[in-house]
Formats: sequence, C-alpha cells, structure tokens
Amino acid sequence: MRLTDNEIAIAEFCRDYALQNGADKVRITLSKSLMDLTGILNGEIDKTARALDRSIQIALFADGRFGTFSSNRLDEDGLKDFILKAISTVKMLEADPFRTLPSPERLAKDAVTGNELELFDPHYDEIESSWRRDFSLGTSIWNRKESIENGFTVIAEEGEYSDSVFDSLTIDSQGLYARHMETSFEIGYEVTVEDRDGNRYSSYWWDASPLLKDLKAADCAEKAARRAAAQIGPESTRSGKYTVVVDAECASKLLTPVLNALGGYALQQKNSFMDGTIGKKVFPEVLDIWDCPREKGQTGSRFFDSEGVMTKKAPIIEKGVVRQYFLNTYVAAKMSLEPTVEDATRVVVTPVGGFKDAMDLLSGMKDCIYITGFNGGNSNTSTGNFSYGIEGFLVKGGKIVCPLREMLMTGDFITLWNNLVATADDARPCMSKLIPTLAFGNVDISA
Amino acid sequence: MTEFRFQGMIYSKQYYLDVFKVDTATLDRLVQEGISSGGSYCDIFFENTSYGSLLLRDGAVTSGGNHIDYGVGIRVLSGEKTGYAYSESTSYADMLACAKAAARIADSPSDVSPYGTGSPSRGEPNPDADRYPMRTPWGDLRMDSYLPFLRSLEAKIREKDSRIIKITVSLAFQVSDILMYNSSRELKWDTRPMGSVSATVVFSQNGKVENKSTSRSFRTGAEMLSDSLADEIAAEVVKGIDSRFEAIRPNGGRMPVVMGAGASGILLHEAMGHAFEADFNRKGTSIFSDKMGQRVCPSGINIIDDATIPGARGSLNYDDEGIPGQKTYMVEDGILTSYLHDRISAAHYGVKSTGNGRRESFRYAPLPRMRTTYMESGTARAEDLISSVKKGIYVDEFSNGQVKIGEGDFTFFVKSGFLIENGRLTSPVKDINIIGNGPRALADIEGVADDLAIDPGAWTCGKEQSVPVSCGIPTVLVRELTVGGVK
Repeated sequence: MRLTDNEIAIAEFCRDYALQNGADKVRITLSKSLMDLTGILNGEIDKTARALDRSIQIALFADGRFGTFSSNRLDEDGLKDFILKAISTVKMLEADPFRTLPSPERLAKDAVTGNELELFDPHYDEIESSWRRDFSLGTSIWNRKESIENGFTVIAEEGEYSDSVFDSLTIDSQGLYARHMETSFEIGYEVTVEDRDGNRYSSYWWDASPLLKDLKAADCAEKAARRAAAQIGPESTRSGKYTVVVDAECASKLLTPVLNALGGYALQQKNSFMDGTIGKKVFPEVLDIWDCPREKGQTGSRFFDSEGVMTKKAPIIEKGVVRQYFLNTYVAAKMSLEPTVEDATRVVVTPVGGFKDAMDLLSGMKDCIYITGFNGGNSNTSTGNFSYGIEGFLVKGGKIVCPLREMLMTGDFITLWNNLVATADDARPCMSKLIPTLAFGNVDISA
Repeated sequence: MTEFRFQGMIYSKQYYLDVFKVDTATLDRLVQEGISSGGSYCDIFFENTSYGSLLLRDGAVTSGGNHIDYGVGIRVLSGEKTGYAYSESTSYADMLACAKAAARIADSPSDVSPYGTGSPSRGEPNPDADRYPMRTPWGDLRMDSYLPFLRSLEAKIREKDSRIIKITVSLAFQVSDILMYNSSRELKWDTRPMGSVSATVVFSQNGKVENKSTSRSFRTGAEMLSDSLADEIAAEVVKGIDSRFEAIRPNGGRMPVVMGAGASGILLHEAMGHAFEADFNRKGTSIFSDKMGQRVCPSGINIIDDATIPGARGSLNYDDEGIPGQKTYMVEDGILTSYLHDRISAAHYGVKSTGNGRRESFRYAPLPRMRTTYMESGTARAEDLISSVKKGIYVDEFSNGQVKIGEGDFTFFVKSGFLIENGRLTSPVKDINIIGNGPRALADIEGVADDLAIDPGAWTCGKEQSVPVSCGIPTVLVRELTVGGVK
C-alpha cells in the first residue's frame, strides 16, 4: 500500500502543469496511508475499521503571491481544473515578497527510498485481518479480570489496536525529491473500575512503535486497570507550595508550550513568552534539550520538514541557553533571521541527577506530589502563565500515601523550569518527545 | 448535471446522485453486500466538501487556498458491533470493496435490530426544514470578493486601541453535499454550509504583552460577512483588554462561582453534556449511566441539546445517520429524562434516536455527539446572583475544558473574570483553572438568571472526532467549586 509509480507520476504532473500554467514555483506533497483498526469492548470485538487515504497538497507561488491547496480527487482531468483555479485564486491575493521556496542547499537529499530511517516494518504486508482479530482479543483482560480485582470491580474495558502505513513524497520546482515512509502499530486501553461504595474511576495506558516486535501490548489493559484502581479513595491536600514529580507519560504538557513559544509564527507575531531569548540563558545550567531527528528506527524521526528542509541534530536548550528558534523560510525572511526548520522533530531531554525511574525519583524527593495525569487547563502563549488540573498521589518519605483529586497546578513556564530539581531516565520511546519523569520545586498547588 | 434548488440550498435528489455518480439500484446492491455476512444493518454516507480559507496577517491578505474532500463511508452493524470502511473514490469497485470490508464485522447472522427509523423522540423536528439557507452561496463568489471584508475588519479593530501591535484575521468557509442511504431503504440528503471569521490581536502595554481572540461561526452563506459582523467582532476582540493587563491570579481555594451568560456554556457541554451521550452510558463508563429518571439538579432547571436553531453552528437538518435534527431535553425540571442517542444506543435502550449520530467526515463512523447545548433561562436576575456572593469568582470567558467521564471531574481554564467581594465585581482575574465534579456542580446550582445567550463562536468538540457545536447558558451561580490560584 505504498505510493505507486502511477501516483508519483501524478505528483510530477501537478508540478509541471502548475509551472506551465502560470505558477512561478510550486511544491507538491503526495501522501497515502492505510490504517486497520480493531476495537475491543469488554472482551469482544466491538468495531473494525479500514481507512485508505490519498491526498495531494499544492503550495503555489505566482506573481509574488502564495496559496495552499489540497484535494483527494486524483484524476488527471479533475486536477487540471483544480490547479487552474488554484493559480487563479493565488493571483487574487496580495503580493508577499517573503514567500519563496527554501534555498536548494537546505533541502534534504538523502530521503530517496523513504525507508532510510528504517521505520517501515518489513512484516507489515503479511498481516491479515484474522491475525488482527486474534491479536486484539488476546490483549483484553476482561475474561480474566477477577485475577486483578482486589477491592474493586472492573466495570468497563475499551481498547483499540491499529496498524498503519504512511508514505509521502514531497517534490518541488527546484528539484526536491524527499520521501518518508513508516509503519505504526498502536495499542490503547481505557478501563473503568468501581470501588465498594460504587464510585467509579477510569484510566488509560497505551503504547506504539514503528515496528510490531517492539509494541508492548500484553500488559496494556492491565496497566490501565491498575492505574484506575490506584485512584480509589482520593483525598485532598492543603493548598501550598510543593515539590512535584511529573511522570514521563504526561511530562510533555510542561515542555510543549515552551517549544511552541520558540516557533516562528508565535515569535513573529510577538505572541510568545520566549521572544528575545535566543542566545540567552533563560533556564538552569542543568537543562539540555536537543532535537535528534535522524535516529534510525525511532518514533518521530524524519529526514526533512514540511518544506523539504533537511533536519539535523541540534541543541534547542544547551546548559540553560536558548539555542534555536524554529523558523521556516517564510517566517525567517520576515524576521530577517536565518531559517532553521519548521518545528522540532524528535525532542530529547537529557536526564539530570542519576535517578533511574519515577519510583527512584520519588524516593529521592521524599515529600512531594506525584502527578500522573493532567485534567484540562491551559497556558497563555504571551505570558507563559499556566494552570492545569492534575491527578496523582501524595508522597511522604518517598512512599505513595494516597491518591489526590480536584487539585490544580499554577505557575509560569520559565519559573517552573528554573525550579527543575532532577529528572529520571525513563522517557517513553513510543513518544516523539523523549521527556523523562521531571521533578520541580516550589510549585503552587491549589486544592 | 441536474440542479433543482428548493428551500434555500437543498437540491433535488438527482443532484446528489449525480455528484456521487451513483443511482439507487447501486446503493441497494451495496447495502445488500454489507449485510451479506450476517450484519443486521448497513448505511452509506457520501460527502463532497469544498473548503476555502483566507488569512490577513501583518496588514495584507497574503495567504489563502481551496481544499476538496470527497468520499464515501460504509458501515455495517451486527448487534452493537460496528464494521466501517471508506473510500475516496465512488467507483462501484471501490465501494464494493468497502462494503465487503465493513461486512466482516459480522461472522454469523445476528438478530435484526431496528436501529431507529428516523422518527423523533421529543420536540418538533421538521424533516423538510432547511435550517441553514444560503442567500449568497460561498462558491458563487470569487475569492477576491472576500478581501474587502477582511481589510475592513482589520481596520475596525486597529482603530479601537492604540496598544495593538499585531492583528490576524481569517475567514474559513465550507460547503458539504451529503447523501445517505441505508438498508431500511431510507435515502436522505443535505447541503451544509459553514462560515467562520476569527480575529486574534496582540496588545503591548508598558512592556507587557497580552493577546485576545474572538470568532463568529454560522451555518450560512457569504451574506454573513456584513459591516455589522465586522463591528461586532472588532468590539469584542478589544473588550476587556484593560482588565487583562490588570488581572491578577487570586488566592486559590473552594468558593462560589458565577458563570457569565453565553460562552460559559462550554462548561455545560464538557462537564455534563458528554456524560449524557448515550455511548458512554451504554458502555457503563458515564457517571450518569444509572441515573435515568433521577433528580440531577434542582427543580426548575432544563438542559437541552438542539439541532433546530436556524444558522447555528451545531444545527442540522439531519444527523449523519439520516435522523431528522431535533430538540432534545436531557434534563427537565431537574430530572434526567434523555441521553443523546445515535441509532446503536437507541436500539440498545429501546428508544428512538434523538438525532445525535454525528461524524467528522466520511472517514469516521458516527457517534452520539452534541449539537447546540444549553440551559434554559431561569427567573433570577444576573445582578442578584452576583450580589448574593460574599467572596467568589465571576467568570466570563472559559477555554480548554476537559472532563473525566467516569468520575465526572472537570477542569476549565479561566481566560477572564473578576473577583466577587461583598457582592461586587472587583479585581479582574485570568489564567487560572476551575475544577469540579459534574454531578456535584449540577446539584450545587443555586440560581439561574433570565438571560440565556447562545455563544456564536467557532466551538469544535473533539471527542475522538472533531464536529462543530454551539453552546450557551444563562448566568448561573454554583455554590462551590475549586479555583486554582497562587497559594
């Protein structure tokens, strides 16, 4: 189910047809994906779904103007009409001198087969629907739930297994040819349990991998059930300043807004609390965050961004100093800065303090709040202020004492990260942001 | 191509059959294939959506585009199990492959369930209604005809406040042709427009930066792009910016909360509406799953989900299972009276579908989803509710709500509001959270004002799939919720 020669020829036709009919420059991205999904409800197959998508995106430059267009109708006559209308539309917009393609030397040249990063599972094509059914049913704990019920009852179990293949090709009018192909295998469960008083608690667990052999599916449902049961008997603690330990599963909630604030559009629009920080020491000396986009076989790796620009390993934060804004060609030109890449690709936070995992870190922090999930909340992109609902546990003497609920964590990101105390070394490889469990001091918690 | 318009922009049956290159005999063959392995019901959902977008940034409309999304989804039900497949081609061979793939959900014959027939359960639905007539169809105008509106809107905003440093305004519009057929031989069709205008403004004052956004979204044609709309958006996007700069983060704790009329309805949507969706209740995961017929809030309170408000973002002539759009009372006089049903849950509970089967596109099977969710007006006055609070919070703008269906716990980010001290609004507050529990908050409602407002913003609900919704609420006083603060 990869791109066929015929489909690639369609992309090349679109590029050439646009250039022949009034476009000065053009970039074409052709994408194709197939996903098979099996849903489980209480130990039985509840749904199956098959999703086949093909689409073509066209970035058009004409008369100093720019527009983006897409269609999933790939017949040649239909595309001719679509492209002519697209060019006509672009010419109705206002001129923008900053719109152009990336300079050729920045473009990826090493993504030719699409599988250079070894993200395509060679066994994918052998998977049959009967195997999906059996595999999915095998991950359910519904028929053996009594074995884990201890002071609670599992009242609902919902799971999904999916496998998919994604193949995309980006070409442009200056010779770019960049292809990316990957398979993905995912499993996720949400389990609801009931305590002896009839109170319900739910939680989830999931895993994903580009390669089936690396998918940790067997204990997914059980982990979800145990996470749900761990919330039984919640208490509130007093409002105040606490050390908090944020589990690797949900730690991205605290880093993603910082990365977004380093994004070009937020900076150019003066709508970023990281504006003016490039080259400055904003964070503590111990903080190192790198973009590592070219690791073979690793979730999230890519050789090029959406413009076809080659990615590279580079520091984002180095010893607390901001080293990179994420600037595409357009935004960089508007800001009179050198372009980098559109966005962070595969973010890696370097562990601090020598702690192995979350439990080790809790032991080290002694008295703290261990956050295992966020429930709503938001942050202000201009100021960096945030307020999040949290769920987790009260920890005393390094041991979990009781679950907590209806608690809030409030602060601002720069202060928070400056209060980073330590981290574990337990980032989840199924995520494209490899962030370990984090410990912060002096955090405002409301109850 | 045959085009016969009637009732606004709903065309004749033949128009839709032509768009998707099918005839009724083909549709019959496909649904028969769908149930050939023992499935008890099959439906087909065709969609052809054209999108347009324009963006004004840094003083010029320098970005825009068009997008087409076309395809067909085929669903087979076997009992309560769902098989689903879709194709971006409507060639018979591709659709037949989809029908065969969806049919695999049934590995043996199952009992035939009725899955509803399209009759309403409550309210006054009009199957022939056109709740979103377009006087000026979006596709009838050239793209450049929309530029003056965007420029005018930007100018109106800029003249409102000298602290503005950046303005972004955008227009997005779409028109979807929909055709639905099922194994009960029901054929339904619809054309659904949507126009959305949004503005984001960045302000700077004494070295501090703040941003504010607003939007308007309606199921209507290009006639919505009026001077009065631009005036309204410009006024709203700068309203309250003084307070935003002055706002503090208050001390946290449990306290009374007064929710302002209109956009606070998102709290009703998240904290209560989702828990009333019947799939969560059918699966036993909702905190309301065993509370049908019970009191869930004080008497006098009615909570509604409504597809019939003309032009509202959440309105529908038909849902995505071909059930007429209708008005559904979930709570009447404080008693839980109805969940929000699609065909599957309606069959499970032995009731008629409430027309809440919705999907993001042909790529998704439908689920019970909200439309326009609101609480009816009460009898109190908003000023009296505020003056009755000694120490609490008044909130007029929420965002980023989230709820845990099983526990009913919800969290909302307060973008703007005020402290209430001794019955008066005092210091502005911002960037804090409110957290609570849905059933407890419902039970703790102490007063409902007579000022119901449906918010006209571009709300999108993200339960597995994204669908447009509307929400509203009158001013409501809740006895006690947890407010996040600085200590």
